[in-house]
Amino acid sequence: MSGERIIHLADLSAIKSGLNAIGRDLETLSTQVHGVQGDVDATRSELARLQQAFMDFVAADLMAKELSLAETRQVKIRQELETRFGHHADVRRQTTGILQAADIQLVRQDTIRAATEQLMLAAPGYWLAPALVALASWLSDNRELAERALSEALRRDDEKTSLLFALVCRRAGRLLAAQQWMDRYLALQNPVALERQTVVLIDAIAAGVFGVDMANACLKRTGEWIDELSQRAGFVDEQRQQWIRALRFKTPSHDDTARFPHLHKHSATWPELQEALNNHATHAAVTAHFQGVFEGPARATASLVSDVDALLDKLVARFDGDELPLRRDEELCRLIIEENGNRDVARQRYALQEKALEDQVSFTQLLTNAAMHPETSHASRTTQRFATALSRSWILDAHHDLTAQFRVQVPVDISVAIDGWQGSTRDGSNQAELEASLNAHVDVQEQAALAAVKLTWVHWCAVALGAMLLLFGFGSVVAMAMGAGIGLWVFWVYKNLDKQRAQVRERFAQARQACQQRLKACLAETVELRRELARRDAESETLTALLESISPEQFTLGGHDTARRLLATA
Amino acid sequence: MVRRLLNGTEAASPAVPLLDRARAASTTTLSAPARLQRLRERRSAAYLQAVAQLDAGTHVHDRQAMDALKAAIDQELAALIDSEQLQGIVARCHLGDPYEVHTLQSSGWIIDHFKFGQPLPLMLERARTLAVHPAYAFIEVYAHRMVAVMSSGQTAIIEGAT
Repeated sequence: MSGERIIHLADLSAIKSGLNAIGRDLETLSTQVHGVQGDVDATRSELARLQQAFMDFVAADLMAKELSLAETRQVKIRQELETRFGHHADVRRQTTGILQAADIQLVRQDTIRAATEQLMLAAPGYWLAPALVALASWLSDNRELAERALSEALRRDDEKTSLLFALVCRRAGRLLAAQQWMDRYLALQNPVALERQTVVLIDAIAAGVFGVDMANACLKRTGEWIDELSQRAGFVDEQRQQWIRALRFKTPSHDDTARFPHLHKHSATWPELQEALNNHATHAAVTAHFQGVFEGPARATASLVSDVDALLDKLVARFDGDELPLRRDEELCRLIIEENGNRDVARQRYALQEKALEDQVSFTQLLTNAAMHPETSHASRTTQRFATALSRSWILDAHHDLTAQFRVQVPVDISVAIDGWQGSTRDGSNQAELEASLNAHVDVQEQAALAAVKLTWVHWCAVALGAMLLLFGFGSVVAMAMGAGIGLWVFWVYKNLDKQRAQVRERFAQARQACQQRLKACLAETVELRRELARRDAESETLTALLESISPEQFTLGGHDTARRLLATA
Repeated sequence: MVRRLLNGTEAASPAVPLLDRARAASTTTLSAPARLQRLRERRSAAYLQAVAQLDAGTHVHDRQAMDALKAAIDQELAALIDSEQLQGIVARCHLGDPYEVHTLQSSGWIIDHFKFGQPLPLMLERARTLAVHPAYAFIEVYAHRMVAVMSSGQTAIIEGAT
């Protein structure tokens, strides 16, 4: 009886309200913990974005520095060229100046002779100075001085002097003398190691500067060179490699991440895909190049004299071996600037056209350089046409090989990774299968997350403690109240589990939808990418048709006479 | 499953002796550049026709057809079969779905048809992408390179064994 009375007297309302307060606090705490978890996730994602932005900034900064450095270096190289070889420029300018002055007979012979002798003193060791003295002496009919100056010019650079006088004689209409100089020049040439300035000879032939007989003699000799080269072991493979390098030079280095953002983000295959896109863009670039070569006017000047003067200017200004190392550096800087500071890409491009800046090249390499790198080989458009027509079958072979290489390098399967899930597609046609797989992956994650929402060992210990307090603390109000409180707390947590499960389900439903959307975007981009690759690949046929339409047998050489000359070569 | 159209007894049967002698005689004379030049040569119409008939299935029952195919390959590739170590020929299969490509393996002269996604023998798998490309009639797979043959007979060489 007394026990019952005591229980009636005990006031548990304070404990009950305290427990309720604890329950509310725990609920608040739980909400806050979830909030913190969300914040941590958001922070992590922001951090990853920041890291990417930082990496992009570093790369952009590096490129900007490389660009600035290349621009500065280019200026320095040009200054160095001016400082070291500036006096050569004075001599060069006077070459056509003397010829044009002699044409119109406005300058006294003494003045010309004095000027050339002055140049001889100002440019020691330079081959052109004695050649100009010889020219001036020839104009003033001083045979003895002309012969002495000529022998000195020939001693300094036999090949360039021969070519110079072949052109000068042609300009003066002395065809026999021009023929003799040309024969001398050709006899000096080794088709395996031609001097770079031979492109001037090809220019002259292609532009029709020489008469029909002379052009035919030169063509016969170049035909013999090709025959001789063809006899060499590995010629075919060498040609193929040579032209593959030349064609690869046109491969662009575009960045298509803006067009395919999801594949860029979710596919480990993206670098190969980007490479394939750029590789396949080569066909259009090469087609545009050859269309440019074969369309439009071929000759910039109309008269024979202007043509020869342009060739003379080119011969004396562009092919000095001493300047070559600096010219190579200048070209690398030019490419770095062209690639907006991307040094690696510029270096790759430079390596592909390096042979255009070599001192000596084979005749076929000379043709390749003329056809593909007119800016470094200084070939005219007519020469480009001539070189392309002569090399047509080699270009086709190389293009077939390159196309096959590009095709075999296209990744067959494209991997996709989204939030820990991985799949692969070939052309986006297995969408249903991938969606099911992704759903299954999210299901597994969801089940694992739901399984984690349960009473932990702490709760079970609390239950045990509460039971013990109730059982063994019978009679003690405080112990029983504590036991009851613990019991209520665990009960409240248990009741709260359903709510947590609902939250987990909601979170995973959102995640599932986001993942499915990303997967669909990846598959759509895959379809688009395959279509784009096929479109670019099909352009290889356009190039093949263009090259096949070029007929070497009917290649018409330009000329300053009315005769139509046909190039009769294999 | 691989659709095997030819029984496995072919490996044990001797090759055509006359052609083998011709091949053996020319093997020793070809240098590496000469072999490359031979690989690049345009394939003959007869050879293209012979390989195109792999789909027809006549080689399964008709030993003469098989011998004719081998003779055509021997005549076309001759020394290259040994000196360049021909592994086989892979071509697009015209049997239709589910078959994607078929192969003719040089060891045993066995013709197999493969379904989409079904892996090819190790050395021939690398030719699959090119074989299904419409620009090529078939792909000759050698130990260190592949030759893609177009329906015009023109060839393209792809270096590398992977």
